[in-house]
Amino acid sequence: MTARRSLNLKLACSVLAAFLLSMAFSWFLHDHLSERDAYALIDRTFDNVQDELADCVNERLVLVCMAAREALEDGHPDDPVSLMKLAHELRVTEISVADEKGDIVRSSVTEYLARPGKPAFNFATTDDEAAKEMMGLVDGRYTEYCQPFRRNPASGNWRKFIGVWRHKGGFFEIGCDAHALQSLARSTCVDLFRNWHVAGTGGIVVTTPSGLVLSDYEEPNREGTQFQEPDGTLFYWKRKEIESFPVYVMIPKGSAAVQRDVLVGATATLNGAALVFVALLVGFVISAFVRQQIRAQAAKEMKMATDIQLSALPKVFPPFPDETRFDIWASMETAKEVGGDFYDFYFTGQDRVLFLVADVSGKGVPAAMFMMRAKTLLKSAAQTGKPVVQAFEEVNNALSEGNSSCTFVTAWAGELNTRTGHVTFVNAGHNPPVVIRGGKAELLKSRPSLALGAMPDIHYRVGEVQLEPGDSIYLYTDGIVEQPDASESLYGEERMLKVLLDPVRTGKDVLDAVLDDVRRYSAGVEQADDRTQLLIRYRGEPDVVSHEYVPTMEDLARATDDLAAALESVPGKAKNKLLVAADEIFANIVRHSGATRWTLSVVLTHHPEGVRLVISDDGKPFDPLIHRDPDTTLSAAERDVGGLGILIVKKTMSPVTYRRRNGNNILSIGKDYGD
Amino acid sequence: MTIAVNGRVDTVTAPELEAGLKFGDATCVVIDLANVPYMSSAGLRLLLSAHKTMLGKGGELQIANVQESVREVLDITGFSDILNLV
Repeated sequence: MTARRSLNLKLACSVLAAFLLSMAFSWFLHDHLSERDAYALIDRTFDNVQDELADCVNERLVLVCMAAREALEDGHPDDPVSLMKLAHELRVTEISVADEKGDIVRSSVTEYLARPGKPAFNFATTDDEAAKEMMGLVDGRYTEYCQPFRRNPASGNWRKFIGVWRHKGGFFEIGCDAHALQSLARSTCVDLFRNWHVAGTGGIVVTTPSGLVLSDYEEPNREGTQFQEPDGTLFYWKRKEIESFPVYVMIPKGSAAVQRDVLVGATATLNGAALVFVALLVGFVISAFVRQQIRAQAAKEMKMATDIQLSALPKVFPPFPDETRFDIWASMETAKEVGGDFYDFYFTGQDRVLFLVADVSGKGVPAAMFMMRAKTLLKSAAQTGKPVVQAFEEVNNALSEGNSSCTFVTAWAGELNTRTGHVTFVNAGHNPPVVIRGGKAELLKSRPSLALGAMPDIHYRVGEVQLEPGDSIYLYTDGIVEQPDASESLYGEERMLKVLLDPVRTGKDVLDAVLDDVRRYSAGVEQADDRTQLLIRYRGEPDVVSHEYVPTMEDLARATDDLAAALESVPGKAKNKLLVAADEIFANIVRHSGATRWTLSVVLTHHPEGVRLVISDDGKPFDPLIHRDPDTTLSAAERDVGGLGILIVKKTMSPVTYRRRNGNNILSIGKDYGD
Repeated sequence: MTIAVNGRVDTVTAPELEAGLKFGDATCVVIDLANVPYMSSAGLRLLLSAHKTMLGKGGELQIANVQESVREVLDITGFSDILNLV
């Protein structure tokens, strides 16, 4: 939990840092962008001012030029001095007249005119492209032409030249310097400068070179390279000379920054939302990952606990294939969270078999470990041949010692005398088992003793029950009876007893029937606890006939007759199968074993009725079960009969077991043919 | 020709049956197993051998009236697919 909290804190800090970083970046970015935008706006404004101011100036000067043309065509003298006078009258700087070839033929500026050794200025041949363009007045492209106000490349003077065409060929031209231009155009253009605003509170300031402000925009105070309003507002600004007028375009920084502030604000909101979302997502992913790790770890432990539990249990059934006096079956279905159940059975003497079911308190790995300990202690105590009650008392003391976790184990153990059917049992706090006999299933109630491991030095009570051939005892754990259904009511003993009454054939069928019924009952509900059950059926003493033979065809025939006689009461179908299987085994022994003697025991078992044939020989070791089956799909030409006998035995008999003991091959084959 | 077999066929009785399975020039032989309660692999060997003999002669061997226990052994061993059961 602490790790989780510190993880969350770290996460929150990184998210905050990321937010601040991104906001700072955003602010600088938008600051830069708004400045760039402001200057782009200023440049566009200058383009606009340039166009409008040039139009206004040109319109005025063309009129002046026409006035000059009118005067000269009306006969105004055109010697340089007279032209200078005219220029002065018209308030322009110079006046020239060009002929149709582009030569200046009359001018107030004598340098333009032809002199000895130097031709007149010619518009057609000049390198000055703007001047050359005046030839458009000769070839008829223009009736009037205005150059921008500019530094004349030839003279180095700042001038604006205006030309209008001349009726008898050529054109008239006036030139204005800044002073002339302003005196002519100022009054005309002043209207133009009214109400020029840029970007809300920004403005255009048009001045004269001497600093006189012509526009109506109230120019802010100039502070070095900055303009500043009285309230401290600073400006983005630029100055350009347009048609000799110095023009300032300025945008207050606050006005430009409005856009930035809005954008940064919007970005902040979006970023904030995005970061919160990302933080939640990352948090979710991390916690899901952590949870998944924890789950995987838990699952691993559970798997380990299940493995411990299951690995310790005998799982091969029938566990004692030669045993004909009783059958035993057991099963365990572990819950998702292992509950520490176990079952066990083993011989504690030649005719004594101990069987038990137990349930460790607690769950998971600790329960599984405790279960292993309890199971091992019980087995080693019981297999010394001590009575079951004494084994329980010893195990209880061992488990109680230093049992700090207060884990304990409930157990019900019975010891069956396989000759007499007598059972002595001890119940250490476990559910009462069920005795199934004579068409009834009843709980075998006894006053339980304390669970194993709960407290040392307990004396366990011993119970007794006598089984007749065909009687069974069924053991179970609370995982069966305490399984809830969807409405939380428990499966219970009544339902279990009812299923146990069903006439079912084998022990496995009985156990499966109970499990099926519990599953049906609790459909859709998770398994609450391990479900462990064990069924032992006392079959009673079998009838046994044994004969000994030598490996000859004569004895083989005798054995066949002996077997047929022993099986007289057996139903024909089962009898035929047994005779065929026996013939295969007899033939193998006589022909291939190298034995000197062999025996046949015919064991007729009861409850259910069945037959075991135990055939032993002292020949060379031969385990028929490990031989590969012949291929039964070959064609007639490819087939031979080798190996078919063993195949027939394996397919028709159950169980079939082989042992090598005291120099003998012992093959046991069997068949139960019904209750 | 038809050969009727009486009684079980196993390791003990097979030599006797083998001696009785003489087909001469017959091209179609029917072995009637109506009175055979069971048969072990010793009997299967004889049936397979007879089947191969008849095939070699271009003749045919038919097995008639197979009883349940015999049928089971024939099925387990795959002989039902090889022999002509009628």
